[in-house]
Amino acid sequence: MGFPYDEASWSVVDGAMFMGWGSAAPGFYTLIAAVICAAVLVVGNASEKKKAKRFDK
Amino acid sequence: MEEQLAELVAKVAELEAAGGGAKVTNTMFAETFYYLTIPLMIIIHAGFLAYEMGASRMKNVLSSGVKNILAFAFMIPTFYFFGWWVYWGFPTGIPGAPGPAGISGIEYANAIAWGWGESAQYMGPNVADQASGVFFGAFALFAATTASIMSGAVIERIQTVGFVILAIVLGSFAWVVAAAWGWHADGWLVTQWGVHDFGAAGLVHAVAGFFALGVLINLGPRIGKFNADGTANDIAGHNMPMTVVGLMLIIVGFWGFLMACVIVPGEAWSWFADKPSTIYGTPITLSALAFNILMAVAGGIIGAWIITKDPFWMMSGALAGIISTASGLDIYYPALTFIIAFSAGLILKSCANWLEKRGIDDAVGAVTVHGTIGLYGVVMLGVFASGFPALQGAAGEVPTISLVGQIVGAVVFFLLGFVPGYVVSLVLKGMGMLRVPEGAELAGMDTVKVPAQGYPEGIPTSPAPAE
Repeated sequence: MGFPYDEASWSVVDGAMFMGWGSAAPGFYTLIAAVICAAVLVVGNASEKKKAKRFDK
Repeated sequence: MEEQLAELVAKVAELEAAGGGAKVTNTMFAETFYYLTIPLMIIIHAGFLAYEMGASRMKNVLSSGVKNILAFAFMIPTFYFFGWWVYWGFPTGIPGAPGPAGISGIEYANAIAWGWGESAQYMGPNVADQASGVFFGAFALFAATTASIMSGAVIERIQTVGFVILAIVLGSFAWVVAAAWGWHADGWLVTQWGVHDFGAAGLVHAVAGFFALGVLINLGPRIGKFNADGTANDIAGHNMPMTVVGLMLIIVGFWGFLMACVIVPGEAWSWFADKPSTIYGTPITLSALAFNILMAVAGGIIGAWIITKDPFWMMSGALAGIISTASGLDIYYPALTFIIAFSAGLILKSCANWLEKRGIDDAVGAVTVHGTIGLYGVVMLGVFASGFPALQGAAGEVPTISLVGQIVGAVVFFLLGFVPGYVVSLVLKGMGMLRVPEGAELAGMDTVKVPAQGYPEGIPTSPAPAE
């Protein structure tokens, strides 16, 4: 994930300065983060249901 | 013509007055900025205090508190006596030669950081110096944070004075050397290896975490922690809610800690006239911190929840989230911060279990949360940020971040923590100053050394409410 400018110097930076700027990376990371959130909820719910089931009368 | 000249002179005077006012305002802002980081960082200590006391059994609750409070108290004067001098004296290594930025070396440290002679003018009230005191204060609080990190790991069996000596070695020397080498424009790790550790994942957290590991090896586990076959027992603290709230307070204090890592603009000592920077002179904004710290806390909690479902580990996950991304909070994209923090939350408990299986009794998981995850964060930045300038300067003239450089930094930070922790605790052990006797440990350290009771009435059921 290289520096987003041709020159490796901060003196040329006048806007976004995070890694991945100017490529598809930010969108990709956002998608992955969102998928993680959704997956955690699905797995967490399944795990809680399984545990609660042991106490069903 | 004369009238026009008079108008012009008046205008110039007006502009000069306005400029002078702006300069005063900026100086006052800069001083206030760092001043406010100090009470914010004291919240870290309130958090560590609650967290350690909650993680102690009732018979040890106050002695854990006494130990933590004393570490803070001794850290401030010892950092004043010599810690601040070490930071400015040795960025280029030993013997303390001056560096290219002109703000390092023994001669420079002697001129600004000794509490006697001419240099004392910068170590006390001075109307012409609105920077030294607040910088010293912020750094002294970083130092106190390192001591608090070690403090939790060793609860319920360490001797008070032995612990204070270890805290001084860690907070006023070991981490200060790491900061001089890796958190200073002249630091050799920065200028030669491009090490970048904006939020001190390695030079504060990993150094303190592995210092604690060195101490734990000599200190040994609490009585009852391990069975004869080597399996571990859980020694639960007396108040999990207090511990969890303490961890949340540490998170609050972190905002001050990370804010203090920013160099504000417009002063003689600033990197830029018009924009804030990191300690390396690379750009940063408080907005960058707001995005990334919040995402890191969230990612760490979620990662730890899915593995443990335990509020202690979830809040430790929040800390791990920040620590795993601290090195690059200035340049990470927030979604990437979340992903790295999530991964730190996922691996946290298994790293702690790994250590426990090797006979290490770290009462609060400090070695893992701060040490292991700190190094993980330093190395992760090398994975993602290779090629980014590590220092302010022209292309080709400044080092860039690299995986090799970050690994070198991680190894140095590990050694700067582990070696002094192990050696000094070994010496203290030899002198009989490390661990309390077995009988005292069994009786409870409050009974042995604290003339007060944590819960004189126990924790009884509340009386019936009025009708």
